[in-house]
Amino acid sequence: MAAAAASTPQGVAERRGIPAAAFVEDVEAYLRQAGLDVNSALAFLQERLQQYKIVEMKLLAQQRDLQAKIPDIEKCLDIVAALQAKKALGEALIADFELSEGIYSRAKIEDTDSVCLWLGANVMLEYSCDEANALLKKNLGNAKASLEVLVADLQFLRDQQTITQVTIARVFNWDVHQRRSKQAVKET
Amino acid sequence: MQQGDGTEAQVTWEDQQNINRFGRLNNRLHELQDEIKLAKEANENLDDAGNELILSDEDVVRFQIGEVFAHMPRDDVETRLEQMKEDAAKKLERLEEEKESILAQMAELKKILYGKFKDAINLEED
Repeated sequence: MAAAAASTPQGVAERRGIPAAAFVEDVEAYLRQAGLDVNSALAFLQERLQQYKIVEMKLLAQQRDLQAKIPDIEKCLDIVAALQAKKALGEALIADFELSEGIYSRAKIEDTDSVCLWLGANVMLEYSCDEANALLKKNLGNAKASLEVLVADLQFLRDQQTITQVTIARVFNWDVHQRRSKQAVKET
Repeated sequence: MQQGDGTEAQVTWEDQQNINRFGRLNNRLHELQDEIKLAKEANENLDDAGNELILSDEDVVRFQIGEVFAHMPRDDVETRLEQMKEDAAKKLERLEEEKESILAQMAELKKILYGKFKDAINLEED
């Protein structure tokens, strides 16, 4: 019988700190090897499921942050492109912006070579338009790459949750089957 | 998995992988449904904007870039809007196609899994 420990023929043993759920080939062998009775096994598996859920919450929050960040960076790139286009035409850019809730003001941006980028942590730096473009593109690339990795993490995590749920159901069914067989034997 | 009578089929690693794949597809389907809703709204908004533009007769239009409204000549705005509408339509089409593909794959997996496990497994939306 195949061992109950996480084995390589069935994928990786863990991914970036998330342990893989061991696939159980045979319920009886699994229980015997782990030395657990049914209730302890079920409790252990339920706890594992809870832990997976907690990690899932954390990853989902990170995913939401990244998904909000990406359109922001794209908007910044649009503005820098608009400024550069106006500069090429030799015209000033006139824009209406929100001064306060419901109050707008007009700005005339003339012949600009540089923009200021908010870097976070109360820090704003002045960059030339070209430098700003490069930095923003790099940040956008990083954010998209991080999002891809995160999505893959979430898929892996959900797979482990599914495996654990199926294992719980199988252990439970096996137990029911055992009880019924014992009952049937008693009655003969 | 529902309660069985002990004669139900054993779950192999291949079965588990199929179940996992079904779960992944189902998740992606829900995400897609949300994305499609947003894409449809975006398309509608762009159409409305186009209509408003035709109705107005101003030469200078305030076009939103980021958080500010830049003054742009009407023709430029028309061009940009056309481009945005085209991109939005293509994106919606792409999303709908992905959704069709996923539904087909899910139907395939349902056939396989129900075939083996019959009513020991439930793959319906709750």
